[in-house]
Amino acid sequence: MTQAIDVHGIRFSYRDVTAVDGISFSVAPGEIFGFLGPNGAGKSTTIKMLTGQLRPGDGSIDILGMPMPGRREEIQARLGVCFEEKNLYLNMTGRENLAFFARLFAIEEFEPETLLERVGLLTRVDDRVSEYSKGMRQRLMMARALINRPDVLLLDEPTDGLDPVSGIAIRDLVREEAARGAAVLLTTHDMHEADTLSDRVAFINQGKILAIDTPENLKLRHGRRSVRIRARSGDGVEEAVIDLDEDGAEDRIREAVSVEGLMTIHTEEATLEDIFVEYAGRGLA
Amino acid sequence: MNLAAVGAIIRKDFAEFGRNRFFVFITIMVLVAWGVVYWFLPDTVQETVTIGVVSAELGDAAGGIGDVDAAGLGVVTFGSEAELRSAVEEGRDDVAAGIVFPDDFSGSIARGEAPTVTLFVPAGLPGDVEMLIEGLVGEVAYAMAGSAPPVDPITEAVVLGTDRVGEQTSMQQQMRPLLLVMVLMVETFALSALVSVEVQSRTVVAVLATPTRVGEFLAAKGIFGVGLALSEVVILGLIIGAFGTSPLLVLVMLLFGAIMATGFGLIAGAYGKDFLGTLLVAMLVMIPLMIPAFAALFPGSSPMWVKILPTYALVQGVINVTVDGSGWADIAPAVGLLAAWGVVVMAAGAGILRRRVAAL
Repeated sequence: MTQAIDVHGIRFSYRDVTAVDGISFSVAPGEIFGFLGPNGAGKSTTIKMLTGQLRPGDGSIDILGMPMPGRREEIQARLGVCFEEKNLYLNMTGRENLAFFARLFAIEEFEPETLLERVGLLTRVDDRVSEYSKGMRQRLMMARALINRPDVLLLDEPTDGLDPVSGIAIRDLVREEAARGAAVLLTTHDMHEADTLSDRVAFINQGKILAIDTPENLKLRHGRRSVRIRARSGDGVEEAVIDLDEDGAEDRIREAVSVEGLMTIHTEEATLEDIFVEYAGRGLA
Repeated sequence: MNLAAVGAIIRKDFAEFGRNRFFVFITIMVLVAWGVVYWFLPDTVQETVTIGVVSAELGDAAGGIGDVDAAGLGVVTFGSEAELRSAVEEGRDDVAAGIVFPDDFSGSIARGEAPTVTLFVPAGLPGDVEMLIEGLVGEVAYAMAGSAPPVDPITEAVVLGTDRVGEQTSMQQQMRPLLLVMVLMVETFALSALVSVEVQSRTVVAVLATPTRVGEFLAAKGIFGVGLALSEVVILGLIIGAFGTSPLLVLVMLLFGAIMATGFGLIAGAYGKDFLGTLLVAMLVMIPLMIPAFAALFPGSSPMWVKILPTYALVQGVINVTVDGSGWADIAPAVGLLAAWGVVVMAAGAGILRRRVAAL
């Protein structure tokens, strides 16, 4: 299958600082690919190279089978980008912002209402963006990224600092776009978001990719396979941790959950954050 | 070049400009204020010339010297040469120039010895006024001798201040280039503020993530800036009668002036970090550019360093057309220089903004 995004050994340096150091990855159509790393890991620089804003010092980028930046305009016509900074025209309304970008994409009959309804901004369509909340601005950014019905969607920290409602709205949109067939590259330092949203994730730190796999595989490979069961016992609480790889684990679980006063059962699998720390030797903060 | 994208950016810029109350205010304000100022300025030249005189022989009777010549001459007597000199230097008592008759003026005339009369002439005094004063000295000698004097007195002119050879023009005529340049500078600031916001908020990055090229973005900014500056300076030009007898020639000069102002606007916008920062950068650009227009308020030739400033050709060109009635052939070098400045500054502005955008 042709990859929607195919990156081989790209590098980029800001003067003496290497921001991206020979990374390679690919994203298939319809796939949500999470790009995880702390601030300054090289995520945004990678996005900038994918949008054509920066030219890689080394390596190659192919998007939809075309080289970037060699066929930049053709790629950009099929690319949707949601930037980390809220770069909207504040003195213009939501409708005007979208209409302006639709003209830049040469979309002749554009009806912003459909998109604004999808992001829940239809009632504020004629308000100036300066009057929007942070969450509303982010949803408008998302709507802007979808104007041209992109085949590749690049989302740079799309839910950073958002309220839960706006975060859910954005994540739903991302899933809808992937279901439509768009390849989604999502950068985030929110491991929970990456875990619930991504088909595959890549850990990036200091410009290098440390691991690429599905969240499940990473957790299976690196996490503890165990169950923690808590139950009331007299005036106290009794807790049992059962290793799933031990012989007779199933019987022990059955026995533990059949007691009276069962309180909680938790799996003890590792989080992506735990695994990232294992790879990078540091956290995401 | 994707003209649709260029057009879309220009439309967006006009919409943003129109939404910004500050820009709308200063745009309308300068048109109204400058238009009103212009029409309140005197449109006539001062016809009465006041001369200061020092003469020990004539004493207070020197005040009657004015009677010996044509009407329109006023005479004020001074007790000493130093007093008169400082009055001329400082422009006190409306004294346009001074005459110092030597103590033995009439005796010298009677003896047939040509006396030397000192004239204090301020820099930039029109030549015809200087000739009038010299003629007056001859008339006084004639009056003292009672008939044609055997010798003519010798006049020795002392120019006070930097000598400027110029023409007598009304305050309206002198102010015209200044008002035009100031309008261009106001629009320079408006454009720079718009560009700065686009750079600082990184909306330009979003624009360039579409199929729009950076060249199209720069072209749109250039067209918007020139359109804005030209339209306003033309409106003001019409209000203050700046088109003279060669409206097309003035229009061409204003177009090059607008191109130059736009180039400076792009430079200031690229460097401005915020509103105040942009204002500061714009002021650093605007102040030197207004010097030629201020220099034109004073008659005479400007110093060389003023002549090399980019707006000098515009100022001089407008003066030549509106005051002297110059045509294409007369001021072709000034128009050529202005065009060259316009191209150079616009290219520099586009280049600097391109680099700034690339660094985002």
